[in-house]
This record gives sequence, C-alpha cells and structure tokens, in this order.
Amino acid sequence: MRTPAWVPYAFLTPALLGLGLFRVVPIGIALVGGLFGTSLMGETVFRGLGNYAGLAEDPDFWNSVRVTLTFNLIVNPLQVVISFMLAMLMARPGRFVGPLRTAMLLPITVSIALSSVLWNILLDPGFGPVNGLLRALSLPPQPFFRAAHESLASLIALCSWRGTGYWMLFMLAGLGAIPPEVNEAASIDGANWWQRLRFITLPLMRRTLAFVLIADTAVNFLLFAPVYVITNGGPAGSTALLMFEAYRAAFTYLDSGRSLAISSVILVIIAAVATLEMRLFQAEDSA
Amino acid sequence: MRITRRAAVTGLAAGALARPARAASALKVAWNGWPESQVKPLFDAFHAANPDISAPYELIPFAQLFQTLEIRLGARTPEPDVYSCDSPLTASYAVRGHAMALDDWIDKSRFSKAALDAATVRGKLYSAPFCTSSILLFYNRAYFKKAGIEPPSADVTKRWTWEQVVEAGRKMSEPAQNRWGLIIEQAERPYQLLPFGQSLGGVPLSEDGLRATGYIDGPAFVEAFSFLQRMYTEWKIAPPGVFDNNITPDLFGSGQAAMFLGGTFDLDLFRTKYPDLDWGVAPHPYFAKGKPVTPTGSWHIGVNPRTRDKAAVEKFIRFMLSDEAQTAWFKLRPYPPVLNAVWGKVPETFGQPAWQIVRHELANTAMSRPASPGYREFEDLLRVALRDMQAGGDVKTMLTASAGRMDRELAKYK
Repeated sequence: MRTPAWVPYAFLTPALLGLGLFRVVPIGIALVGGLFGTSLMGETVFRGLGNYAGLAEDPDFWNSVRVTLTFNLIVNPLQVVISFMLAMLMARPGRFVGPLRTAMLLPITVSIALSSVLWNILLDPGFGPVNGLLRALSLPPQPFFRAAHESLASLIALCSWRGTGYWMLFMLAGLGAIPPEVNEAASIDGANWWQRLRFITLPLMRRTLAFVLIADTAVNFLLFAPVYVITNGGPAGSTALLMFEAYRAAFTYLDSGRSLAISSVILVIIAAVATLEMRLFQAEDSA
Repeated sequence: MRITRRAAVTGLAAGALARPARAASALKVAWNGWPESQVKPLFDAFHAANPDISAPYELIPFAQLFQTLEIRLGARTPEPDVYSCDSPLTASYAVRGHAMALDDWIDKSRFSKAALDAATVRGKLYSAPFCTSSILLFYNRAYFKKAGIEPPSADVTKRWTWEQVVEAGRKMSEPAQNRWGLIIEQAERPYQLLPFGQSLGGVPLSEDGLRATGYIDGPAFVEAFSFLQRMYTEWKIAPPGVFDNNITPDLFGSGQAAMFLGGTFDLDLFRTKYPDLDWGVAPHPYFAKGKPVTPTGSWHIGVNPRTRDKAAVEKFIRFMLSDEAQTAWFKLRPYPPVLNAVWGKVPETFGQPAWQIVRHELANTAMSRPASPGYREFEDLLRVALRDMQAGGDVKTMLTASAGRMDRELAKYK
C-alpha cells in the first residue's frame, strides 16, 4: 500500500504550526518592531534605524555585547566538553551508573528561576553556606556574584551546574548509537583508548556534538533568569547580558522599540554563531 | 490585636450579611501581593458594603508588580480597572495616560499633606492615597548591653546622628561571625537611601523631575553615599550585598545585627515571629551637620482611565478611603495611615513609642521621593549604582555616570 503524498505533511503540521506561531511570528514581530517606537501615550511611531543608531551610541549596549560574547565563548565549549566527559563516564556499565545518571540530571528538574534563587542564597558572601564551608576549611570567603571579577564566572558555574546533565543525555544517546563492533574491531587491531576516542568516537559523535553545541549556544545567548534574579546586570555591568538589557529597555526604560532592536541583534548574533558552528563541523566532515 | 482585627472586619461586614450577593458590576483589581489573609477581609468588607459589585483581585508579588502593570496597562485595554500604584510612580502613570485624575472623588481635607503630595501631579490627584510609610531605627538590647553602650533614645529631640550609629556599630560589629552593627532593610532602594543625601541638603532631581546631572551627583549625595559606602567597605558595620528585603528583617530578628533601619511593617513581625528578641525603637538617624529627613510614601490606588464602569470604580475608591476601611486596613497591616482621623481611632496602638515617633516624622521630617514622570528609570538606575557602590569604587564617578544615563532616559518626557 502506498502512503498518500499528504500524509507526512499532516504529521508535520502541528509541529510546524507551533514553530510558526511561537518562533517565526515573534521573530517577525521583533524585526519589524525594532523599526518602530512608542510615544508616551502609546501611539506607534516609525523610527527606521533610529533604535539601532541609539544602540550604536550607547556604551552600555556595547558593554553588554562584550559581556554576552565573553560569557558564550566560555560557557558553550565548557558545557559541551564537560557533558561529553560525563557521558563517556556514564556510558560504561557499572553498579552506580544508574543513580549517578539520575543525580546528574536532577539540576535540570529545578526551574532556572528557582535554581537562581537557590544559588543566590548558597553563594551569598555573608550568609551563604558555601562561604561557611570555605571559612570552616580556613579558606578565604569569596564575594561570588557581588564582585565584578567573580560574577561572570559564578554565572557560568551556575549555568553549567544546571546544563551539563541535560546535554549529557544527548551525548549518551549519541554514544549509544555508535555500533559496538566498530570499537571492538579497533581494539582487536590494537588501538588504545585514546586512539579509539580520537579516530572512532569523536568522528562518529560529530552530529551529536554539533547539535549540542548549537542548541546550547542558542540557550545561553538567551539566558536571562539568573541575571534578573541575582545580579541585575551588575556589579558594574559585569553580568549585563543582552537579554537582560532587552528586558531593561522594555520594562525599566519603557522603550519597546529599543528592546525589540536588542532582541533582533541577539537573533542576528545567534544566527551568525550557529552558522559558524555548523561550518566548523561540516568542514571536518569533508576532510 | 487579633480580636480587634476580627471585630473591625466583622463590624464592616455585618451590614450586608442578610442581603443576597448578586454582582451587577465586576471590577478587575491588580493588587500588590500582600498576604491573602490581610487582603481578603478588606475585599470581603467591600463586597459586603457593595453587594452589586464584585471585585475579584489578583495578588501580584511585589517583585513582579511593576512589570506586570507595564504589560497590562501598556495594552491600553479597560483592564485592570484599578491597580496598586507605588506612590512615586503616580506621575509616570499619569503622563502616559494610565491614571485618571481623582479629585472629584477625594475629600482632600481628610488626608495628611505628605500623602496628598505623593499623589499630586501638575496640581491634580492622579492616585488615591491608600497607605504611607515611615522608617525607624530598631535595636537589639543584648548587643548594647554586651558592649556597654546606652541604646539610642526614642525621644525625637535626642535623635542619633549617623556618626553615632557608626561609632556604636563598630564596637558591636563582628563581620567574621556575621554579626553586624547595622542592617538596612532595603539596602539598594532609593526609598531608604535618598534621605542620606537629603539630610545634607541634597535634591535628587531638578524641579520638573527631568534632569539628574548636577542633582543626584551633586556634593550632598556624593558625601552622603561615600559615608554609606564606608559603612560597608571601611568600617564594616553593615553586610555588603544583602539586598533582599525578604531576608533583612529576619537577619535582625534572628540576632545578626545590633541595629536595623526598617519600616513599621516589621513591628508586628518582630513581635510575633521573634518573641524572645529584646528590641527597642528610636528615630531615624541624620548627619550631625545636616537635618533629619525620613523616607515616606507607599501604596496608592490607581484608576485606569479606560475602565468601563466608572461608577463602580468610584464606589471602590470611596470605600477604600473611608474611615472604616482605613482603620480596618491599619489593623490588618500596620502601615502608617494616610487619613488624619485614623490616628484617633486606635489609641492603644498609636500610644506606643514607635507610632509616636512615626507621627512626628510624617508631620516634620518625611520627604517624598522626587515627583518625576521618569521615576521608574531614575529609581532603577540609582539602584544599580547603589548596589555597585557597596563593593567599593569612586562614588562621584559612579553617580556622574548614573546621572548621565538618567538624563538620557528622562529626555523622552521633555
């Protein structure tokens, strides 16, 4: 029996509708809205590229771009490497692997807003248990989120604590999809652990790695909750990620046009970085 | 206290028990997220007095209230009909067409001047004063006894200076043990920190509320906020980075601080949650070379000009501002009252030293936050600067940078 041509489309429709409604339409709204502004009395005013010109002159915006790029340059590779390493550890059979996998996944079950509240308390410089532990071990207490030189690192640690277990799941699935015979054959041929990792596991994991890196990039460029809950972009703008600036433009400065312009800038950066990342993995494919 | 509360509410509700509750009008109310137990009795009483009007309220947590209202009011629909309006935001809502002038519904002679000032924009009342606020210096007697220091007096004429607070605080502070000389309840909010500079004669914004440079970065605020900064960085009498005002009263309550600069809303908390704490109250400190200035202003009620049912909204506002409702609200949640008459209605409470201090402050030292249509932008930018200051750095540079940003944001109201 032949499947009628429309059947695949019918199955795809709900997903495509969702994608259109919750992704494409908002992107369209952001791109168009970035060209407009709102008067005090709520009338929409066409500003053309005025919002973008305003951003270009704003040192806070450029600081935010720098912070966002620094954050992503560190957090994405870090999470991919850690989650890959975790997956390698957890892929091996063993008595404690089950409970350990569960433990790795637990942080993702706590919402990002709640984890932010928790870590804000845990890392509080004065009253937080982490500094309490440091003091008990006669180590100097740290300011964590409260000092410009530690805040971004603390943010990266929080996101990685929460994210790596999740990305590990994808890595585990990728590792599971590598046919065991390939590794067996290599072992028989005398390949050591490093050679198997370098010449078998990594090349066969390329698609998984590419997916995780790109998806993780998108998630981290859109990071908002911990900044909102813990740092408000400070101290001294050290954690002012672009998403937070977009929020601040809309809700503090009451300027929706500027907010949408910042959102559009984030979108363009994500698209550019994701394209670059895909190129990176494709180049290796053809090599 | 509990019995009087119940009695007040029952009394209010009694009139309508026999009548069937059929609502002809329905008002949508966006209300500050006070505990349900404090809000429900008041709304029940409103419904009892106005059975033809239902007023389902939504309690929005304080931390999300402003953002939520921006979205709801920004949509420019008839809802919410009424909303909790932070008094310094009155001008912001008024100039953007989110608040209606209420002069016809409000008998001004019944209200304290400070409350009316906080509601007035360009000569008209754009929010209904619902409650006000004042700040007291709480102290923990155990700390003072241990250090052999006489605690500050409750007498407003013997008010402590900030210099005295620091001197005493340094003797009682043990930062390594997380025991502090002073904790400020809202340690990042201009609400509590503007009076530092105002005590030295500083004016935070120009008269029209549209210029910050030369005001908030002027010598008075630079000196005052530098002093404040040294409390954290040099004298170490206050814990840096403790901004969450859900935590600060409990730190004092659990004995982590000798002094606590906090609101009247904490009086009940310390009494009920920390019955073993031996505490007292004193008036808000000031700078030796300056004058006493205290924070004020609080929650008002805003009316959406697009409401479909002005008659019902008028009844709601008139009810919430009535002597009965205001007395009941005070008993439910002791904010200083905005109505002059309420002070005479609860003598057992207002006879206490804390409330005598508050009454004096509201009449003599209370200073409203600047009435600027851009208060929201001003407040947030100053808040960020005040947070950063606690970590060190040159106060003048930070304030000047912040004032520049404020001017940029305030320009849209010119």
